[in-house]
Amino acid sequence: MELQVQLLINTLQIGSVYVLFALGLTLIFGVMKIVNFAHGTFFTAAALVVSTVMSVSVETAGLPIWFSYLIAFTLALLIVCMIGFVVYFFGFQYVLKDLNGSFILSIGLLLLLNGTYLILYGGVPRSIPDVVPGNISLFGASLTIQRLLLIIVAAIITIGLYQLVHRTKLGLSLRAVAEDQEAAMLQGIPFRRVAFYGFLIGATLAACAGALMATVTPVTTVIGDDFLVKAFIIIIIGGLGSVLGAILGGLLIALIESFGGYYFDPSTATLAMFVLVVVLLIVRPQGILGHAER
Amino acid sequence: MLKGNQGLILCILIAIGAICFALFSGDPYYAQVVIWVFTNAALAVTLRFVLLIGELNIATAAFFGIGAYTTAVASTILGWPFFISLLAAPAIAGLISALFGWITLRTKGPYFLLISFAFTEIVRLIYTRTDALGGNSGMIGMFPPIELDTYFPAIAITILAAILFGLYAVERSNLGRVFKAIQNNEDIPRSVGLNVIGLKILCFVIASTAVGLAGGVHAYTNNVIAPADFTYFVAVLALAYVKIGGEGHIIGPIIGATILTIAGQFLHSFGPYENIFYGAIIIGALLLVPGGIVGLGERIKAGTLIGRAER
Repeated sequence: MELQVQLLINTLQIGSVYVLFALGLTLIFGVMKIVNFAHGTFFTAAALVVSTVMSVSVETAGLPIWFSYLIAFTLALLIVCMIGFVVYFFGFQYVLKDLNGSFILSIGLLLLLNGTYLILYGGVPRSIPDVVPGNISLFGASLTIQRLLLIIVAAIITIGLYQLVHRTKLGLSLRAVAEDQEAAMLQGIPFRRVAFYGFLIGATLAACAGALMATVTPVTTVIGDDFLVKAFIIIIIGGLGSVLGAILGGLLIALIESFGGYYFDPSTATLAMFVLVVVLLIVRPQGILGHAER
Repeated sequence: MLKGNQGLILCILIAIGAICFALFSGDPYYAQVVIWVFTNAALAVTLRFVLLIGELNIATAAFFGIGAYTTAVASTILGWPFFISLLAAPAIAGLISALFGWITLRTKGPYFLLISFAFTEIVRLIYTRTDALGGNSGMIGMFPPIELDTYFPAIAITILAAILFGLYAVERSNLGRVFKAIQNNEDIPRSVGLNVIGLKILCFVIASTAVGLAGGVHAYTNNVIAPADFTYFVAVLALAYVKIGGEGHIIGPIIGATILTIAGQFLHSFGPYENIFYGAIIIGALLLVPGGIVGLGERIKAGTLIGRAER
């Protein structure tokens, strides 16, 4: 029993980061109809900023750790938004709805940004100090308070995004553009501006995931790339462009990874995900919650 | 550009020249570079071949790897003779691609792109976790037989050139026209009674078989293969060759592969700057020279070089 609870908590912890990452990817796909292979670089950038700022403010300036983390988190979001702004204006706005073009552009960005990170940051993994030290036990399973906070913050962001997409005017235009861009434009929705907002929100979600992940794992310049393959599997399972699909898919993949990785081994778990995708493609090619291609 | 027989004859002459160069140059390094150019050209052309039906096929990298590993297993573990282990590569790659295509080609666009990406990474994961395939360090010891050793570069280039000409022939045939029709609007070929899914699978299997053969040649050329040689990045570079050369004509990817492979030989010493350079080239080519070098040639002819090309 304790073991299962422990594995479930692990599922939630991995899953919350997967969900944030996949949500950004699926949102960008929904409004721009492109697959952003450079999504991991937003994640990495945030983690790198957090680790750099923390080491400066804690070790040099001597500020308290929780305060430094708040500053680092905010700075990470700002910097990723700036990167997102630059790559959108100099690149992505020319490849809206162009699958092959956007693939090439985002791969080029991936190379360019990862190379830049390596030069600026160096190849050595670095860890940040515990923001909130201590352990608690839940139903017999123990976990650090830090990881519990990670799950809670990720859940709040996810719920916030869900509300944004389903309750606000911006969310309505995001959904309208995702469903049928031309009909949305006929209703007076400025497609390009909405696409830009969608892209920035997606980048910010990846940045949140990266900044949170930096608290529980050592930071390297390729930290975001590991998430990419799994995020793709998640959004295929959930259906491209579906917010709820990304949430459910993220939790499902985390469940397989956590339980499969314990009872068998991690590579069997990854293979199981792939088999799941293959079966799903045969039965329901548009994903669990996706719409059929028009 | 290069549409008539003159262009074809020129290409045949270049291929014969490359084979003669490999036979008589005497410098193994230059012969190796020529083989790399042809291998990369084969990768780019097979990637473009699936683009004919409108799908971006990252699994090109996976089938390149499957071909290389098949040849490696056949020649080192099973001890099969040279030509048979070489031919096992396209056979196995073709079989697996038929199964993979049958499952995945019902989807299209982004779904196919993502699933082929995931497939490539997972096949690579299988190599690293299988001890019989050498795990992370890969396999060594694929040597052509001693008596063929001096001729091997020439044989390799002949096979790779045959792949290029073969795919060109298919593209120019009626079958190739049907593939392009599927890209334009697949409902129209379907409306005249063609089995569109079957044709898509056929196109995919032809490309994968060809790239599997190139993988087999790669195993014998390199003598050493490792999982890290077959990441999705192989397909990304192939796509860069296609984009820089231009995808309008089959000669485009070949030009792109030649230029970037030779440029890459000078860039190996730059470390992390190498990736930045490739990234910048890819972005620059996409945004500034849409249509690639072939497209550039056509625009000079048409007198529309100044100003953005239509997208």
